[in-house]
Amino acid sequence: MLRTIKIDWKIPADFRTLETPFPRPERIYSGIDEIDPKTFPAFLDEIGLIGMGGGGFPASEKLWANRHSHTLVINGVECEPGSSIDKSVLLNDSLWVAAGAAACAKVVGATKVILAVQHNPEFVAEVNKLYSEFEILSFPDKYPAGAEKLILKRLTGKCPPPGSRPYEFGFLIQNVVSLRAVGRAIVDGIPVVERPLTLAMPSTGFYKNIIVPVGISVSELLDLYKLPYDSGIHLISDSGIMMGKEISKSSTIEKTTISIFILKRDVAFREERPCTRCGVCNTACPLGLHPFTLTEKIRKGKTGGNAFKGQMSECFLCGVCSAVCPSGIPLVQTLEKGKQCL
Amino acid sequence: MSVQSPFIRIGSRSSAMAAWAMLALLVPCSIYSALYDSTFVWRLIGYALLGMMAETVYTLIVKRKRRLVCMGSGFTAALIAASVPPTMPFLPMLFSILIAVWIVKLPMVGSPLRFNAAMVGRLFLMLVYPAQTVNWGTPTVDVISTATPQELYRSEGFPLEWSEWLFSKIDGTWEGLFLLVPGSPGETFPLLILLLGGLLCWKGIIGWRIPLFFLLSFSITSAVFGNSLLFNLLSAAILFSAVFIVADPVSTPMSKSGQMICGLIIGISNALIREFTFYTEAIVYAVLLGNLCAPLLDHLAFEVRGKQLQRRMRQSARD
Repeated sequence: MLRTIKIDWKIPADFRTLETPFPRPERIYSGIDEIDPKTFPAFLDEIGLIGMGGGGFPASEKLWANRHSHTLVINGVECEPGSSIDKSVLLNDSLWVAAGAAACAKVVGATKVILAVQHNPEFVAEVNKLYSEFEILSFPDKYPAGAEKLILKRLTGKCPPPGSRPYEFGFLIQNVVSLRAVGRAIVDGIPVVERPLTLAMPSTGFYKNIIVPVGISVSELLDLYKLPYDSGIHLISDSGIMMGKEISKSSTIEKTTISIFILKRDVAFREERPCTRCGVCNTACPLGLHPFTLTEKIRKGKTGGNAFKGQMSECFLCGVCSAVCPSGIPLVQTLEKGKQCL
Repeated sequence: MSVQSPFIRIGSRSSAMAAWAMLALLVPCSIYSALYDSTFVWRLIGYALLGMMAETVYTLIVKRKRRLVCMGSGFTAALIAASVPPTMPFLPMLFSILIAVWIVKLPMVGSPLRFNAAMVGRLFLMLVYPAQTVNWGTPTVDVISTATPQELYRSEGFPLEWSEWLFSKIDGTWEGLFLLVPGSPGETFPLLILLLGGLLCWKGIIGWRIPLFFLLSFSITSAVFGNSLLFNLLSAAILFSAVFIVADPVSTPMSKSGQMICGLIIGISNALIREFTFYTEAIVYAVLLGNLCAPLLDHLAFEVRGKQLQRRMRQSARD
């Protein structure tokens, strides 16, 4: 069951704007006109493209593995609550996204392009105008609807087996921001040196979609917008509320950084209590797994069974079980440990 | 203060869950109290405080921690008080609350097999003080007789048509005595309880699976034996226990399929006991049977789901 996750931020995500506070990078080589399937993966390596939806998997290898796909899926389903950068890129940089999508589709030989977006009537209407050549598929505004596995489930009609990749079914699923980077390289000759991200500080009502150069530190961003950050009160979350991790002020913006949220520490803090065996984690799991039984087995070291392995490899650590737990048990952290037992 | 993702919380917290259930329980009890027995609601609150105190003492001695608000045990005590006749003397109530809290509820925290503490307390009362537990009063107009008069119904035959149970005041011997359905204080207003159950489900305090499957399987089994469906459903403690007892998240299975099967087991066994034994209302035994099955059901659900995923994994490896 997918969950609607409400956040109590005063200013909702505005996906219409995309600001560029830093100087734009300059063209360093001419763009390419002819797309050759044989040399294109090497070109992607040259511009340094990795999966920019957070996965960080080298794009050239992904494209090579997907070379016989029949459909390209543009993944613009951004389910992390509070971030709207995928929508923003889709609306503002449609030229580059379309160019990247066309190039990728040509390379893998895909005949069909599906644009997967979050269901939001205004947004879908605008997307329909901009991307009239693509088939548009809208997904519910719930978490974790944007996971590759769940998109694949919607496309193929049944849940893909654990450990399988989309290319086994003939689908190439690419993130919007990755395609934007491809388009930028083809059209403008600029390698992957910029990263669109959502910067938000809910306690001051600050909310912006911006494009920043890869490699600058978080403190530079904070200084630019004069955000009152105090390490005792606030924490910096890298890449979302649900699956993000805490980073320090001196960390840099990576290519895989989807968002930077500055949240209040006491809002995010959870006190762990003993499990009451209420089973909310089981009901909430989008894949129908048994998170608590899994964590119990991991804690006791009973990780040998077939049933355990089957369930553990299916889990993609979305973190819903941790979020719904009434006792504040860090289930997803234990499950991360369990992933290493496989 | 280390913080780990996800940085957001959804739904209620465990400390507040029992408090919400307690509030819901207080609604029918206070209406009952206002109509028939003005001291009852104060006694109920007193018993709840007694349960809380019992837990405080236990945590102080065993865990050497101080905890003042222990809603869980308070709710257990209130459930016992609401499911027996209000004429129950203090001493048996004290014993049953202590047994429920000290022996069943607290020492079993965290173990896969847990029993519904309120039901164990009530079982104790039924076994040790049977006379007081079935003291429903005599059915005359000048006595406010309370709690489930199932036994009297059985000996007299069912006096009413089911439509009267639903929509009208009860006539005949019971005229003017009860608002809707006679029973112990908690179970007097079935439709109100159903509404409260819906509210609790919506708040995420109880799951909808166990109550729904319990009610369905109970009514189907009753209908198979040719009993009046709505009479069985609305009389006695069925709706009350569906909302407050069977839906207890602690002692029932954690897995979704396990919860459904547990609901089926409780419902069917309850209907069977009503039909074939001399117990007219055997929710206690049915619930405890369901609790006994819980660890096995959880284990089976886990194994079955895991095997299913493994099989799919192997299939895709073969393709």
